[in-house]
Amino acid sequence: MGVPEAFRSLLIQYGFAFILRIWLYSSEFKATITERVEVSTPINSWKRVTEGVTLYNDGINPYSGDVFHVSPVGLILYSKLIEHVAAYLPVVFIIMDLFTGHLLYLTAVEYMKHLMCRQEEEKKEYSEEVKELMLNEKDVRKQPLYVVAAYLFNPYILFNTVAQTTTVFSNFCLASAFFCMAKGNRSGLCLFLSLATLQSLYPIVLIVPGAICIGYHTLPTNAKSESADHPDLFQKILPRALRSPNSAHWVKSIFATFGVFFTMLISLLFLSCHLSGGWEFLHSVYGFMLLVPDLRPNIGLFWYFFTEMFEHFRLLYLWAFQMNALVLYLLPLALRTRKDPVLLAATLTGITAMFKSYPSLGDVGFYLSLLPLWSHIFPYLQQGFVVLAAFIITSVLGPTVWHLWIYARSANANFYFGVSLAFAIAQIFLLTDVLLSYTKREFILRHGTSNLLNGKHGKLVLA
Amino acid sequence: MPVLLDPPEGCRRPTYLMVKHHHKLEMLMYLGGLLWFLALPSDHIHSASYFSENSLLPGLVKGGFVEDSFAKTLLVSLQDEISANPTKMPYPWLLAQFRQIGLDAYTHNFTLNYPLANDMTFEGQNVYGILRAPRGSSTEAIVLSVPFRGSKSVHPSTAAGVALILAIAKFCRRQKYWAKDLIFLITEHEQLGAQAWLEAYHRTSSGRYGVLNSGDLTSRGGAIQAAVNLELFSDRISHVDVKIEGLNGQLPNLDLVNLVHMLCNKEGVHHTFHNRANLGDREYNRGDPIKMWTYSLRTMAEMVCAQASGVPNGNHGLFHRFGIEAVTLTGYRKVDRGSPATFYQVGRVLEGILRSLNNLLERFHQSYFFYLLSATDRYISIGVYIPAVGLMASTLLLRALAVWRSLQIPTFQTDKEKLMRAQEMSNCFASVGITVLVAHALGVVLLRVPVWSALYLNAADTSLSVVIGLMSFTAISTFLPIFKSMHSDTLLLLYVIGLIELATILLAVSLHNFPLAVVCSIVLVPFALLVGGRRLRFLRIIGWFLVQPLLLVAGIILVYTSVHFPDDAILPKAMHAFKEALTFSYVDYAVYGNWMLSVGATFLFPMWFVLWIVVLKGNISTSKDSCEAKKGQ
Repeated sequence: MGVPEAFRSLLIQYGFAFILRIWLYSSEFKATITERVEVSTPINSWKRVTEGVTLYNDGINPYSGDVFHVSPVGLILYSKLIEHVAAYLPVVFIIMDLFTGHLLYLTAVEYMKHLMCRQEEEKKEYSEEVKELMLNEKDVRKQPLYVVAAYLFNPYILFNTVAQTTTVFSNFCLASAFFCMAKGNRSGLCLFLSLATLQSLYPIVLIVPGAICIGYHTLPTNAKSESADHPDLFQKILPRALRSPNSAHWVKSIFATFGVFFTMLISLLFLSCHLSGGWEFLHSVYGFMLLVPDLRPNIGLFWYFFTEMFEHFRLLYLWAFQMNALVLYLLPLALRTRKDPVLLAATLTGITAMFKSYPSLGDVGFYLSLLPLWSHIFPYLQQGFVVLAAFIITSVLGPTVWHLWIYARSANANFYFGVSLAFAIAQIFLLTDVLLSYTKREFILRHGTSNLLNGKHGKLVLA
Repeated sequence: MPVLLDPPEGCRRPTYLMVKHHHKLEMLMYLGGLLWFLALPSDHIHSASYFSENSLLPGLVKGGFVEDSFAKTLLVSLQDEISANPTKMPYPWLLAQFRQIGLDAYTHNFTLNYPLANDMTFEGQNVYGILRAPRGSSTEAIVLSVPFRGSKSVHPSTAAGVALILAIAKFCRRQKYWAKDLIFLITEHEQLGAQAWLEAYHRTSSGRYGVLNSGDLTSRGGAIQAAVNLELFSDRISHVDVKIEGLNGQLPNLDLVNLVHMLCNKEGVHHTFHNRANLGDREYNRGDPIKMWTYSLRTMAEMVCAQASGVPNGNHGLFHRFGIEAVTLTGYRKVDRGSPATFYQVGRVLEGILRSLNNLLERFHQSYFFYLLSATDRYISIGVYIPAVGLMASTLLLRALAVWRSLQIPTFQTDKEKLMRAQEMSNCFASVGITVLVAHALGVVLLRVPVWSALYLNAADTSLSVVIGLMSFTAISTFLPIFKSMHSDTLLLLYVIGLIELATILLAVSLHNFPLAVVCSIVLVPFALLVGGRRLRFLRIIGWFLVQPLLLVAGIILVYTSVHFPDDAILPKAMHAFKEALTFSYVDYAVYGNWMLSVGATFLFPMWFVLWIVVLKGNISTSKDSCEAKKGQ
């Protein structure tokens, strides 16, 4: 396996990432990066956190105002941080970031093991001519390192860390949740997912892939033969496509995961209520995310639409936009990729990072750095060039037109929205393409590289 | 969604054709962009300028300025003051004049800590007077400024301008219709004074921290809506030249430019753009179109050169970054026969401009901010000129697509080996990432090289050490790629990234400073396309080496010198200009926030470096192979 080599490479990466971040923190770019709307949103900006903490320390409820939108648990954490380690805050953020990177590494190692196991199991179904296309030892060794590199040296993540946004902590919770998911640890998954949900609400959708994943991990190995003869209650209720010999196990496991998760979430909410002395935080934190009152521009799609729209349509479109971000793709994707819940989780993270009300580059960077987990499907990508070019061009043009709009006053909001729309489209292309390539690879492994299907040219669709 | 989902055979046709004929298409698009750019100043494409902002109401009132004899008296008195003390600005005299007129007059001190040396400071002082609006609440202001020049200055004296704005101040003081504060500003040390005053007015800093200490102002007016900078070299004016190009190529709103030209027209002042008058009306109608076109093209080229340099050609250029529309009016001394424009006429022009600006109900927003001028009354808007850069930048994207296709051949074409190759390719992501990162790190270092070499290299003078520092950095970075060998897939991918980056730079720059983008496209695009390819590798390497940003600057300066000073010894003069240009690019970056150096160092140079690796390690083919492979199917 070459463990020492991987270890050395990891150490070099961490050391280099640390130095890079320290340098950025002390450079002149920090002030600029911190103030960028792409990085700091009303939800995650550190400036607002210090504001809230000051109010809290002065005995004023920070949730009664319109500035502070961090959960009470976060409030206590950050106030302790500011109180005790104010001088070393950059180091705290950098260490959190490195931890996140390492968790992603561990996740990747687990996931690659899991993929290899599955490949072994399914090997007999595979077509003869694709032996070379299967995962090999080298992929297993390399891909986790790519994941770390993609996280630690991702410019978006770098900006996010240097701007000291609270997204650093959300990403840490998410990475822990991914790790627990890959490990099959139900209580850990539920804990970190509920913490992430407490902070930014949208990770709540990840409970679905989480539950599926836990289900796979706790699958009994020898239950196949006996239950096949005696179909139980669940097998009669469930639709045929979802029926399996282990239906009972599945239903129980999923219910258990949901139960643990919601219990934890509700206890965390009660804890928050206790900490902040009331339920006001609900409106200030989750109401803010759901109702989108602050239309300061960001890389998302909400602000422009809601500034342009007539006020009486607001509620309707709030429903539409929030459903788009939260539930619209959940069921179809969950059904399609149920075999690979980690991919489902990564896709859902990407979709929420794109469609949520106050997205930041930190969210985008997080799901992008997960993608090297599937670098074995990159050869199947169709839109690679378009996505690459669009990411580079929009990332540069965004700040440029922002300057023209805000400082030079020679452009206007349409320019900036145009660029952020193109950025969102590039992301949509990327996610769709990854899912399609995944499907395509599964198909090719089973049917060979010939696209002749019963003598006709086949066409593969994502359904 | 056929674009997103696996396309059937037919849908891929356009891309396939594009990639197959990409060499021809690239040439076509590049030439198309070039021709489009050259065709811009023709009569069929540029259009007559017009006013978008109705509230300006230019020239509707009869001018009332009659203080020309007062201006003449002041000019004589001021010239006495200057000859008595040739280096210093006569503050007491200026303050006394302002107070006599009845304005609040103030001074403003500023200090420059020279960024390329330790403990070298320059001090200066501006004088300004504010006429409070009798019909408004001091929420808005208009600035009329003059750069003061002592008799030792290399530029012609602007004493006439100072005298005229004092006379105008006296005239305006007695009028009742001002709804905006009028600020009369006399600055010292050319652009430095104007920059310091603006920074102090807005309590901000544009350059590097601690370089320009702009101090504070004792008194302010409202938000500045517009500014007119006046440089009159004499009281007998041959023509007024209207300068518009600002810092980083920013332009004032076209309405303001039109306003100035129109009022000059009305008062019978001969007015020009880049010292080129319009061809006479008779010629305009009957003249031969080729002559018209070359004349307009020359005017546009002058503008392109001035704007592409990114350096303001007058104090007006510094106002733009604060969102203030500003122009400079330069009045040249009349030397030949004929009747000159006097204080009376120029005063009326300025009065008309001020009164029109006074009418503004909201800040300038109607007309164009992005335009090219091919005559004083002809303009080319952004929608018309942007295809030129768009086409040239797209050639790069097309080439990148072709190279990418040659890397990643569509996988669903039954051919397993291609899939295998694509799989191999994903192994080179890491080294591509590292290379790009190193290139940009080098760029960030490059940004610091001038100041390091100025402080730690003990050459004869600062500019020489800056040149030595930059040259040695260039030499080191040029030889750096020799020590690392690279896989051919990595090189291809690097080529793709480099091309996309260059296209991105060109597109982003074209939004801020179109002329700069056009010049860069014309020069860089062909060489960037030549980077990939097998034949004549040596020429390709030489070609791409020649467009190294530093050498490119040297080349441009050499050409510029040989065109403008054909008689002198070119080489020493060019060398001197080169040294000065490099030093000033850093000083401008540190003092004014000029982004020419920062963009050049952190984007252009890394892009050059990436492609330099590609061409040096070279031997890569573009899509030829893939095309043949596809034909085989």
